[in-house]
Amino acid sequence: MSPYIIETGGLTRSYGDICALKPLDLQVPEGEWLSVMGHSGSGKSTLMNLVGGLDRPTGGTLQVGGENLLALTEDGLARFRRNFVGIIFQQHHLVPYLTAIENVMMAQYFHSMPDEAEARHALERVGLGHRLKNRPGELSGGEQQRVCIARAIINSPKLLLGDEPTGNLDHKSTIMVMELLKELRGEERFTVIMVTHNQDVAAWGDRTIHLDDGMLVREERMNCQ
Amino acid sequence: MNRRRWLLHLVMGAIAHRKGRALLLLSVLAMASSLATALGIVSTSMEKRVAEEVRKYGANLVVTPEASRLDIGSGGLNFGVVSEPAFLDQGQIDSALAKSGVRAEHSYQLRGALHWKERDLMVEGVNFSDIRRLFPWWQLKGSWPAEGESVVGNDLATRYALKPGDSLELVGKAGTVRCRVSGIVTSGGEEDGQLFVSLLNLQQALGMTGQLSQVRLMVTAGNDGIKKSAAVLQQLLPGTKVSEVRQTAHTSEGLLTKVKLLMVMVTAVVLISAGSSVTGTMSTTVLERGKEIGLMKAIGGTRREVMLIFCGEAALLGIGGGIAGYLLGSAIAHFITRTVFSASAEFMPHYLLVSLGVSLFLALLGSFGPMVSVFRLDPVRSLRGE
Amino acid sequence: MIAVKLIPHLLAALCLLLVLLRCFASRRKSVLLTSVCGLSAGAFTVLLLRSMPVVSPYLLLKSLLGVGFLALWGVSVAVNYRKNAVALDKNEGGIVSSVAALAGTLLAAFAAGGIAIAKLSDTALATFPPVLLLLVVVIVAVIVGGGATFLEKQLSPRVTITPVGMVVAVVALLLFSASSILRLDLFSPLSMKVMKGVHDLVHQSMESVLIPDHVFVRPVVWKYIGFLFGKEVGFWGGMVIWFTPPVLIALAVSSRKLPSVGHIRQGAQRRKLLAGALREQRLQLLLPLFSLCVLAGAAYQSSFPTVEYWDPKPIPVVANEGGMIILPKKGDILLEDGKIHKYLFKQKEREARFFVLLTPDGQLTVDLDACAICKPDGYGQAEGSVICYYCKTLIPLDTVGKPGGCNPVPIPFTVKDDAVVIDALTLINTWGATVQATTRVKEGGK
Repeated sequence: MSPYIIETGGLTRSYGDICALKPLDLQVPEGEWLSVMGHSGSGKSTLMNLVGGLDRPTGGTLQVGGENLLALTEDGLARFRRNFVGIIFQQHHLVPYLTAIENVMMAQYFHSMPDEAEARHALERVGLGHRLKNRPGELSGGEQQRVCIARAIINSPKLLLGDEPTGNLDHKSTIMVMELLKELRGEERFTVIMVTHNQDVAAWGDRTIHLDDGMLVREERMNCQ
Repeated sequence: MNRRRWLLHLVMGAIAHRKGRALLLLSVLAMASSLATALGIVSTSMEKRVAEEVRKYGANLVVTPEASRLDIGSGGLNFGVVSEPAFLDQGQIDSALAKSGVRAEHSYQLRGALHWKERDLMVEGVNFSDIRRLFPWWQLKGSWPAEGESVVGNDLATRYALKPGDSLELVGKAGTVRCRVSGIVTSGGEEDGQLFVSLLNLQQALGMTGQLSQVRLMVTAGNDGIKKSAAVLQQLLPGTKVSEVRQTAHTSEGLLTKVKLLMVMVTAVVLISAGSSVTGTMSTTVLERGKEIGLMKAIGGTRREVMLIFCGEAALLGIGGGIAGYLLGSAIAHFITRTVFSASAEFMPHYLLVSLGVSLFLALLGSFGPMVSVFRLDPVRSLRGE
Repeated sequence: MIAVKLIPHLLAALCLLLVLLRCFASRRKSVLLTSVCGLSAGAFTVLLLRSMPVVSPYLLLKSLLGVGFLALWGVSVAVNYRKNAVALDKNEGGIVSSVAALAGTLLAAFAAGGIAIAKLSDTALATFPPVLLLLVVVIVAVIVGGGATFLEKQLSPRVTITPVGMVVAVVALLLFSASSILRLDLFSPLSMKVMKGVHDLVHQSMESVLIPDHVFVRPVVWKYIGFLFGKEVGFWGGMVIWFTPPVLIALAVSSRKLPSVGHIRQGAQRRKLLAGALREQRLQLLLPLFSLCVLAGAAYQSSFPTVEYWDPKPIPVVANEGGMIILPKKGDILLEDGKIHKYLFKQKEREARFFVLLTPDGQLTVDLDACAICKPDGYGQAEGSVICYYCKTLIPLDTVGKPGGCNPVPIPFTVKDDAVVIDALTLINTWGATVQATTRVKEGGK
């Protein structure tokens, strides 16, 4: 068994003539918190989408959790996502007509079957025990992001992906969300890959890689955590 | 919670979220399916009605005096007309039948007005044994009459509160008929409004011995045979008119086919326009929800599962529209048959299936195309809102 | 024509092999071989036995079907009675031993092949030379086997079939296949047995309870007792016996305990396990429900058979001055062509329906178109027998003309100058007596 949960070799992704990701070799050991930094257009979101099975690479190898993502069919990828990955979006992407708890149950539905008690428990863990029946429109940005986190962790994923999770939040909410993620990671022991352009947010991770123009330019290890 | 219940809950939530659009879709679906239902019910009822009219004349030839007219299916008959026109001569008919060699069951009938309790009653003189043979569908409450007894049509019996066992005294120009009511007949035709007494009694009472107003014949032969028999009899019976009952049925059937064709065309036009409007509405809805679809895929829904949610929505709308359409369509059909054809439409539950089918078909067809195009998109791009 | 007749049977055989192959997926090859052999062997046996006058192949097939149905009953009761003890409804390869699996496959395929070939009449088969016939049988069996293998490959590997599901589907398919053949059909005889049983029971109990006469019983009660005497009781009773096994099996499957998940701490894992078990359960309900539909189809086919009966319209006849009905043997109608010829005799208000038939042993016979026990619905002629429309009993042509049971009531007649002469009075009186007796039973009197 490889000690790495993610292993890429010469991973590329191009859209027509534009090469979003130049050949990239990356290893992520299990349980690591990896921050990915770069300007917009540097290929960091592309990397995250590839690793999360949302997109397919155009070349190279990609192993996530021992699964060769290049070999999976469309439905196979969907099954991989539901069992293995939790995703937190910058735009939250909550279903507007469902309440907070129902949004969490949606993830349960695709994974196996809805379980209301468990969903409630998950929302209580992110501190939203009092807003179960509110729709996304009635929640603040920070609260919405916490619903999103509850939804991402409800199926006990091995890999948690954050695509600028704090991009739309003010400073206070950002700290709250990051604290929460750290706490949850302590309990659930999932691997985190977080895309951000904020130095302070990146500093929460164990390791930061910098991408520029689709290439890995710098890597730094945080020792303070 | 169980998966199926959750799915239903989800779909209901989605529909409730876009109430206006759902209502629009529902009404379009309901309208289209109600039209299909209404036209279906109307044409079936009409078909049945025509079949009944044909059946009513178990006899396939009718001999009438040239002057008098034969009305088929209309209940009202002018009293004045009956007394004036020519009559048939029983002896002439008998000899013609014998001479022609046509094998036919016959029923001699004489129609006339008799006076009873200060009003005129339409009385038909018949031989009851002939009636039993030629009109087997007569539903008789009570018993078939014996000598000196009579049968009352259902409507007449209700109007004058007559029941089996009552005695009647009917006064005519030349005599009086005394008889007892032995039974009440329901045939669904003009018989319901008439009183039947024995032919001989009526002829005596009216002073018209040996005279008839019409003869109904049941010729046992094939289609050509009937025509031939009619021709033979016509030659032997000058001054009368021998007509085939089928002819009238044929004309109404022809008319019915034309009406049905028109109905089918109208339905097709309505269904096509409703279909395109459903497609338009559905496609904007689905495109609007591209992000939702992308999200569902991103959190692990396979294409089939996501499709199921959206098809479920369309199907639910389709079922709602179908049921509403059935109710509306039945009401319309009732209204149409009542006002236009002055007949009552029957309750036809199996048209619920037709209505549901039409509505579901439109809803699913309308949402199918846009959905496929959206489902081809990969989750990343649909989430970004492209 | 032959191919069209065989299509439903071949489809049933195809489904049957598909179910067997998926159920014994670990022994696919041997099961396939066995079933193809079974199909051909069943067809051969029926062909062989039909050419010998001694043993009836129908009896063999019918008893096989009967045993199958009883076995289905046994299995359905067993899975309910020992829900979790009996491992029959779990899909584990080792439960059914190799020998049992192959033996069961052989029997099922044998029956399927036999039934399919029994559908074809001797005359239809006579056009083929025997060797060619055998070759065709084997080729068809191989095609069916190949088709089943192909379909089984297309079927999603998540669909598994338990031994119980296999048994119910196989028996249902066989019964369906048999239901279109009068002599192999089980449903009609079953409902007939139920009807007779109930009639006897009611009769016996009334006599033993010593109800002196029906004047003491209210009319409402008589209506219920009348129902017990009706045809419906047989039909509904038959339905209950017919449909109970798949329903019982479906109940057993749906009431099976879900796996205990209390000890699993992680919610996601717990849900996954539960959802998987629920899906499995739903998949396993599929076969019993499918069998229910198939059995319903069988009952329908049996109640409204598509066999074309020879059933001529009764021809009105009159008696001469001497009160005799004279039917010339060779007039418009050839009386001695081995078919039934129906006549209708009317005298004033009374009428009688009767038929003339030349039985296979060369005897002319004149009988009422009614029997001594049923409502006078009349008879139709199928191959080798006449059938009573009311109770669907088949009466071999050889025994027509003999009194008793549901046989047509014979009428005395003489043959004079190449004509059949019947006494009109005797005829009309016999008809009157018979019909009066049988309609009284129907109306619930004693």
